[in-house]
Amino acid sequence: MLEEYAGRVRLVFKDRPLAMHTLARAAHEAARCAGAAGKYWPYHDRLFAAQPAFRRTDLIAYATELGLDRDEFARCLDERRFAADVERDVTQAQALGINSTPTFLINGRLVIGASSIEEFRSIIDKALQERR
Amino acid sequence: MGTAASYSRSVKCLSRSPARSSRVYYSPIAAVLALLVATASIGAPRALAQIELSWSPSMVKGPAGAPVTIVEFSDYQ
Repeated sequence: MLEEYAGRVRLVFKDRPLAMHTLARAAHEAARCAGAAGKYWPYHDRLFAAQPAFRRTDLIAYATELGLDRDEFARCLDERRFAADVERDVTQAQALGINSTPTFLINGRLVIGASSIEEFRSIIDKALQERR
Repeated sequence: MGTAASYSRSVKCLSRSPARSSRVYYSPIAAVLALLVATASIGAPRALAQIELSWSPSMVKGPAGAPVTIVEFSDYQ
């Protein structure tokens, strides 16, 4: 979809690990560790493909698959270097009343749940028209 | 990297009357963009909520000047 709207749509990913998903938070922190090494999106895709295999050893293995430095990545993960950043996203989501995933804000318009491509296209087209 | 200092942008989300349409104000100089969150799509009126969104540059795809910004809140698990 992003390719379809190349140049006209920007996607921002925000962490919203749900409390019932006990392995999710570490995965979100790991993704940010990958991001610090310049591999956020490849790691992001790897996590979605691998879910829910998110044990520490899994998370480190995905990083090394992507060519990241194993020791540095493990250190980042073990120190929980990005715990506060993930928590900040969770706090922001809660403030917006976002308690289920995925939830989208399309130019500020709330879209809850995984909608159809057609629905997204319609909302994006409307947002583009409003910006003209 | 990845600390608060790496957040180059912030967003203000203002949830107002459900009857109002959503509008986004971009202010690249101040690196601040205000989002009015329309709650019309979910029916029931909600309480006024004003929050500031920030994000890491590494978690963004697409150009900064894009007319449409999709913020996705998701869970890997």
